[in-house]
Amino acid sequence: MNKLLLFFCLLGVTAFAQTQPNISPADLNGMRAVGSPADPKVKEEWRKYHDYAQISDFCQRMVKAHPDLVKLQSIGKSFQGREMWLMTITDYKSGIPDRKPGFYIDGNIHGNEIQGGEIAMYTAWYLAENFYTMPFIRELLRNRVFYIIPSINLDGRENFIHQPNTASSSRSGMMPFDDDDDGIIDEDKLDDLDGDGNIVTMRRKNPLGRWKVDPNYPTRMVPARTDEAGEYDLLGSEGLDNDGDGQVNEDNWGVYDPNRDWAWNWQPNYVQGGALFYPGTLPETRNIKSFVLAHPNIAGAQSYHNNGGMFLRGPGAAEDDPFYSQGDIAVYDVIGKIGEKIVPGYKYFIIHKDLYTVYGGEIDWFALTRGVFTFSNELMTSFKLFNQQPNAQQNRFQNQDYEEFDKYLLMGDGYVQWKPFKHPQFGDVEIGGPKKNYLRNHPGFLLEEDAHRNMSFTLLHAYQMPQLEVFSIVKKPLANNLTEITATVYNSRIMPTHSAHDLKYKIERPDYISLKNATVVAGMIVENEDFNQTKEQKYTPQTIEVPNIPGMGFVKVRWIVSGKVDKVTVEVDSRKGGLISKTE
Amino acid sequence: MRLIVLLILCGFWGGLSAQKTYSTYQQLTTRIKDLAGKNASLASVSSAGKSAGGKDLWLITLSQGNPGSKPALLLVGGLDGSHPAGSETLLLMAEKMLNNPSDQVKDLLSKKTLYIMACANPDAWDQGKSRFERSGNATSSDEDRDGRVNEDPFEDLNADGLITQLRVEDPSGTLIPSKSDPRILVKADPTKSEVGKYLLLSEGTDNDKDNNWNEDAEGGVNINKNFTFNYPYFEKESGVYAASEAETKAVLEFLYRNLNIFGVIVFGPENNLSSAIKFDAAKARNRIVTGPLEKDAAVGEYVSKMYNTSTGLKNAPAMPLGKGSLVQTAYYHAGRFGFGTPGWWPQMPPQDSSQKQKAPAAAATLSADEIFFKWADAEKVAVFADWKEIKHPDFPGKKVEVGGLLPYARWNPPVSYLDDIAQKHNKFLLDLAAAMPSLDIVNTKVEPLSGGVNRITVQVINKGFLPTFADLGNRVKYVSKVRTTLNHTATQTLLSGKKMNLQASMGAGEFVEYTWLVNGTGKISVTVTCPTAGTKTVEFTLN
Repeated sequence: MNKLLLFFCLLGVTAFAQTQPNISPADLNGMRAVGSPADPKVKEEWRKYHDYAQISDFCQRMVKAHPDLVKLQSIGKSFQGREMWLMTITDYKSGIPDRKPGFYIDGNIHGNEIQGGEIAMYTAWYLAENFYTMPFIRELLRNRVFYIIPSINLDGRENFIHQPNTASSSRSGMMPFDDDDDGIIDEDKLDDLDGDGNIVTMRRKNPLGRWKVDPNYPTRMVPARTDEAGEYDLLGSEGLDNDGDGQVNEDNWGVYDPNRDWAWNWQPNYVQGGALFYPGTLPETRNIKSFVLAHPNIAGAQSYHNNGGMFLRGPGAAEDDPFYSQGDIAVYDVIGKIGEKIVPGYKYFIIHKDLYTVYGGEIDWFALTRGVFTFSNELMTSFKLFNQQPNAQQNRFQNQDYEEFDKYLLMGDGYVQWKPFKHPQFGDVEIGGPKKNYLRNHPGFLLEEDAHRNMSFTLLHAYQMPQLEVFSIVKKPLANNLTEITATVYNSRIMPTHSAHDLKYKIERPDYISLKNATVVAGMIVENEDFNQTKEQKYTPQTIEVPNIPGMGFVKVRWIVSGKVDKVTVEVDSRKGGLISKTE
Repeated sequence: MRLIVLLILCGFWGGLSAQKTYSTYQQLTTRIKDLAGKNASLASVSSAGKSAGGKDLWLITLSQGNPGSKPALLLVGGLDGSHPAGSETLLLMAEKMLNNPSDQVKDLLSKKTLYIMACANPDAWDQGKSRFERSGNATSSDEDRDGRVNEDPFEDLNADGLITQLRVEDPSGTLIPSKSDPRILVKADPTKSEVGKYLLLSEGTDNDKDNNWNEDAEGGVNINKNFTFNYPYFEKESGVYAASEAETKAVLEFLYRNLNIFGVIVFGPENNLSSAIKFDAAKARNRIVTGPLEKDAAVGEYVSKMYNTSTGLKNAPAMPLGKGSLVQTAYYHAGRFGFGTPGWWPQMPPQDSSQKQKAPAAAATLSADEIFFKWADAEKVAVFADWKEIKHPDFPGKKVEVGGLLPYARWNPPVSYLDDIAQKHNKFLLDLAAAMPSLDIVNTKVEPLSGGVNRITVQVINKGFLPTFADLGNRVKYVSKVRTTLNHTATQTLLSGKKMNLQASMGAGEFVEYTWLVNGTGKISVTVTCPTAGTKTVEFTLN
C-alpha cells in the first residue's frame, strides 16, 4: 500500500514537472495558499448550506465561468418537479467526453444529509478552478469525465432547509403516504410550536418522570439514576396531535427511504424498512438509473451521506458477500486504506458488517447491477469535534463532546434553549434541544476542510479508474508474404476495465482491440508470448475482443496480416477504459 | 406438410374473424373498446401505461358504480408473450360475462370489481414474418452481452414461414427419439445401453461463430421475469434489473395504488391453482419469506379445490412459479393473494370404448408431452413439422434436419378451444368472488349508564369464506388493515375506547369486539372498512 501511495505521489510530481501551467493564477498578493485557487472565477462560500435555488444558481455560474470545462443538464425532475442538475466536468477540448472513463458523484439521497451536496459542489468547483494552475487536475480532466449531481433528493433537501425539522427528519422524499393507515395522507406532521424552524424535544415537569437535567449542560436531559427520582417526562419531538387520534406526529411527509429504492436485492418494506413498491418507485431513482445506463463509461461512483465518518463499500446484505471477489476487494482496500489516512477519523467499512444491513441500496445497484467500483462516504464524525476518538467507555449521556464543542467552539449556537409552551394535549411543557443542523451536518468552519478531504479521497478513487495505453506494436515478417503484428495494451491504474463481478456475469461487453489499415487474415489473443500460446478469434478477427484489461496489467493481441506492413493503427475501445489509439 | 403449416399459420394469426382466430393487436384493441362501448354501465377501458414499444396496456374495469370502493381482483394475461392463449382466454371471459350478463354476474359486479389487463406485453403480440416464439417486449437487448444487439437471430432455413428446430446427427449428441412417441426427443440413458444420436438446436445459423445458435435474436424482456420477487439476475430475457420495464412498472403501480385489490390471477405458463403450494415452516419463518405463511397456504388449498371443482379441469401438468414472476411478487412483496394458471392445457382424449378395460389409469403414466401429442392427434391439430433434411453451413457433411414442435403450439391451442376454457374460468371467477371477504357489524348494543353516558358495543365480523387479506399482508405497509371508527359529533365526548381501531387480517367467520363509552346524546355511528373486504356502517341514537 505504501508503494502505491508513493506511486500516486510520484505520478503527480512527474506530471507537474512535464507540463507548465499555461495560465497563471491571478494572485492577490503574489503568494497563493498551496492547494487552493487564489482568485476563483466562481466566488463561492463553503461555510454555508445551499437550497435548491442556490444550487441551481451555482451550477449556472459554473457553466458561465468555465464553458470549456463544465456543462449542465437536468437528468429529469424530482417528484415535486425540481430539476435534477448534473454537471459534466471534463476538458472538452480533448477527446470525446462520454468516451472517457467516467466518475459519478452524488449527494444528499437522504433529505437531511445535506452536506453531500456541498462536497459534490466543492469538487466541481475545485476541479474547474484549478484546471489551469494544477497539472494534476489538468491531466485528470483530460483523461476522465466527472458527472456530478449535488443533490439527488432536492425535495427532501428543500423541506429540510425551509421547513421545521429535527436533525433526522426529512430523510425521506416528499411522495405522500398514509403512514398510520387511517385513510388520510400526511395529516399529522411535525409542528414547529415556537416557529424557530427547528423541531426540538418536548419535556414536562413531573415528579414521577424518569428524566432529569444534565447538571453540566442544562440543554441536555439525562436519565435519572436507577435509584434516584426523576424530574421530567420526555414527550418526543415538538408537535401536536393534529388529527385527534391520540398520536403525535405519526403521519409526516413521506415517509420512506430513497436509499432502499434500488434494484439489487431489493426487498419489500416488511423486510427492509423504508422500501416502496418496487425498485425505482421514485422518479429520482429512475432518472439516475437511466443516466447511468446511458453512460456505460462510468467506472467509479461515490454517493455522499452523513454521518459517522466512514468510507463504505458494499454489499449491503451479508448474503451478497460472495459477489465481492478477492480481486475486487483488493481495489477497494487500496483506496479505502489510503482514505483512512487522508480523512482522519474516517474508517473504511463494509455496509452490512460494520454498519447495518441495507437491502435495495444505491451502492449495491452501482456495484452489483452495473459492476461499478463504488464508495459511499458517511460525512461528519464526532472525531472532528476535538480531533480524537470519543471515549469508547462512555455512553451517550456520559460523553459531553457535543455539548463542550457547542460551548467552546460554537459559542452556544448549536442548541435551542428550553422555553415554556402551552400545549393543547400535554399542558405546560418546555421545548428545547439541538438545532436541526447540528449533530449530523458539519458546523460551518469544519465544512470546507472536510469537503476538501473527502474530495481528495474521491479524486484518488477517480484517478484509479482504468487508464489504457497501447504500450507497444511489434511487427514481424512471416513466410508467404505475411506479417505478424502483436500489440500490448497496458492499464496503468489499479481498477480493471471489468470488475471480477462484471466479468463473471458479463455485465459490460468485452474490450475491443482493432487493427486498422491492414488486411487481417487471422486474429488472436496471446495468452503466453514466450511459448506462443494463443487463442484464435474466428469472428471479426480484425477486432479482437478481450474480456478484461486488468488493473496494473496488460493484454497482448496478435494479428496475421497479408503483405508487408508499414504503418498500422491499433485502437482500443473499452466501455470503462476509454477510447484510445496508437499509430506506428 | 408445409401447406398444412402455412394454413395453420394463417389461421393462427391472420384471420379476419375475432371469434375463430387469435386477434391481432389492432383487433384486440377494437374488441376491448367495443366491450366497454356496448356495456357502459358495467365496463370501462383505460390505458394503464405504454409498453416499451409504445403500445397501450389496456385495462378493462368491470364494475357497477364506483370500482375503487369495492373489493377487487386483478386479472392479467400475456405477460410472457409466448402465451397469447392467456390473453385470448381473459378477453373471452370478459366478453362472455358481459354478453347478456346473468343475474349472478350483475350481482358480482355490484359488490366486487374486476380489473382485467388481458394483454400486458403487447410488443410480443404482433409477430414479424418469421414466426418464432417470442416472450419479450420491444426493449432492445444484448442477450449474450457481447456488445452487439440481435446479431445472432433465428433463420427460417426451410422457408416454411416458421422457426422450428434443427436436429443434427452428431456423435456428441445426447438425444434419441422416445420409444413411446418418436416426435419426442429424450436423453439417451447409458445405464440402459442407449447411445445418443442427436443435437437439438433452434432453426438458424451461428452468425457470430460463438458455438451458440440464435442466442441473441430480436425480442427484449419477458415481463414475467422482470418482477421483483426472486428476480433472476443476469438471466436471459429478464432485463437489466428488476422492474426495469415500463410494463412491469405499470402493473405494479396499478396493483400497489389500488388498495382494494384482494388478489391477482395471472393467465400464463405458471400454475398454483390446479394444486396449491404446500406450507413449509422453514420457508415461512425466514426474514425474507419464500413460502406461503401457514394461514395463506390453507387459503391456497381452499381456492385450489374450488378451482378444480368449478372448472372441472384435470391432469394439469406441473408448471412451477417462475423467478421474477407476477404471481409470486403479488404475494411475497405486495401482500396480496397471487394465483396463476395457463387456463388451457391438453386434456387426455377420451379412450376408445374397445380399449376401455385395458388401460384404466393411462394419464397417470404418460408424460405431459405424450399427453400433448395424443391430444393433438385425437383433435387433428397440427402441432409438429416432420423432420426434413437440409444442408446447413455450420455442419458440413452432417445430416441436419429441420422440423419439430411448431412455435406457440405447445401452450396455445387453436383459439376455438378457448371458448370452453373461458366459460369454465368464468364459473371459477364467480365462485371465487362469492367467497371473498365481506365485513359486517353484528351484535350491536347500546347500554345507557347514568348521567347521559352510553356504552356502545359492536362485533365486527368477516362473513366471507376467505380472509380479509392475506396473512402476509399484515406485514406490508401498503395493505390497508381492517379499520373500525366511531364517528362521534363535537358534542359527544369519548370517555373510553379509541376513536379509530386497526385490526390485522380476519379469517372466515372471525370477529372482533369493540366497546366505547360516550358522554352525550344524538346520532352516532360505527364504520368498519377494509379496501379488500368492503365497508359497513351502523347508526345508533344515544338518549
